Amino acid sequence: MPTLEAVGLSRRYGPRSAVEGLSFVAEQGDIVGLLGPNGAGKTTTIRLLTTILRPSAGSFTVAGIPDREPARIRARIGVLPESAGYPARQSGTAYLRYAARLFGRSRSESAMAAQRLLKEVGLGDRAGALISTYSRGMKQRLGIARALINDPTVVFLDEPTLGLDPAGQREILNTVALIAGERGATVVLSTHTLAEVEQVCSSLLILDRGRLRAAGTVSEVKAAVGAESLNDAFLSLTEGSDR
Amino acid sequence: MKLDDTRTPGSRWLVVAEQESRDLWIGGRGPLLVFAYSLLLSAMTYLAATNRAMNFLEQREAVNLTVQVALSVGVLLTLVVSADAISGERERGTFEALLLTPVSRRGIVGGKLVAATTLWLACLVVAIPYLWVLGRGVAATGQAAVLALCVGTLVALGLAGLGLLISALTNSNKTSLVVSLLLLLVLFAPTQIPALPRTGFGELLVRINPIGSALHYVSQVLVGRRTWTHDLSYLVAPAVLAVLVCALLIVIGPRIVKLTAGVGSE
Repeated sequence: MPTLEAVGLSRRYGPRSAVEGLSFVAEQGDIVGLLGPNGAGKTTTIRLLTTILRPSAGSFTVAGIPDREPARIRARIGVLPESAGYPARQSGTAYLRYAARLFGRSRSESAMAAQRLLKEVGLGDRAGALISTYSRGMKQRLGIARALINDPTVVFLDEPTLGLDPAGQREILNTVALIAGERGATVVLSTHTLAEVEQVCSSLLILDRGRLRAAGTVSEVKAAVGAESLNDAFLSLTEGSDR
Repeated sequence: MKLDDTRTPGSRWLVVAEQESRDLWIGGRGPLLVFAYSLLLSAMTYLAATNRAMNFLEQREAVNLTVQVALSVGVLLTLVVSADAISGERERGTFEALLLTPVSRRGIVGGKLVAATTLWLACLVVAIPYLWVLGRGVAATGQAAVLALCVGTLVALGLAGLGLLISALTNSNKTSLVVSLLLLLVLFAPTQIPALPRTGFGELLVRINPIGSALHYVSQVLVGRRTWTHDLSYLVAPAVLAVLVCALLIVIGPRIVKLTAGVGSE
């Protein structure tokens, strides 16, 4: 059974279509790259699949749970939203403990989970520090730790490397690979950086103006367009879009 | 490690309430607001005590004045905190993470409502020593404190709920605060017209105004020495507001507690 399946998923804002007829399937351990120019519908797609937005048409399932049961879906997913904000006056530990308790963990379990995840993302030595003192990269890693607090089946990461230096980007991508490889979770990775997709994604979806332009592995997409590089394939599929 | 399935999603509002209260009181605005409130109460108590010594203000009137100030300012602060609860989180970018948890939208609203109401309860606790100082000798302190607890909590619950509704329906935190404060001004202004309850229209205005009627009821019990049940009809407006707002939050909460406010944003 696929861990993530969308069928004809659409989202309209009045006459404007943000996502139109999106269908795809992802299996356990897949890292699905969600690519597209600005305004292509990447964030809307993630917000639909994470139950923040309701679809105008179509349906989806997460770990076999249909979209009509949003609370159950939210219990099985982890999300790093685009431009996530963090409570400046909380410490990393307190932030994760609260998140864990919202997912139903007891106080002691929450404390243990927070400690373990902060170590996993390399923030063990700054666990007690206020989030306001964290760098952007540290905040992104904290966000990823929060996305893993409920041992999710599917993890959605919306531009997790945005604004990070190359070392920070590499750390995040290593973590993404571990989430899929060691935890066996399905990862949906929205990004603008094609090199990231080639490096870690097992398959990709290219969106443009809300429509799915291509889907498959990197080599399948390149072959379908007849391009030598993913960059050429991407530009060929999205040329003429409003960026 | 498995998640605790015995904790129902319905009980998670308590976790929200606990964290929101912690955010308000530890490193948040709560202590500063209560400190400013206590300064105001000190000044009012000093003036009331001085006037009483000059026989301008009878002792029970001084107690009543303090309860009225405590209630008015306490609910104002509660409204300010609740008006920031959703729109403020949207602006700070922390709301999406909360919406992405299995906690129901009603649970989020309920937790935030309880946290905002703790500010009123803190204001009440701060007011008790002042009431004790002013009410010594006329055995009015206990009565005034219990009265403030019952009536004030009713008004605070209604206004905190109203603040949350406004906060959920507005995208900008500034708009939410301005609308809430304007609303409070509209409700509070008529209470400053002393002759209002003595005319038919004035009586109606007092009765339909949840703040005006609550303050009138308090003064009837404390100064007029009426029994608690004699003027109970004055509590209809605050009770209706509290029930109506809570019912609205329960019914439409799932539709208005979302990432962005406004029609078509869901």
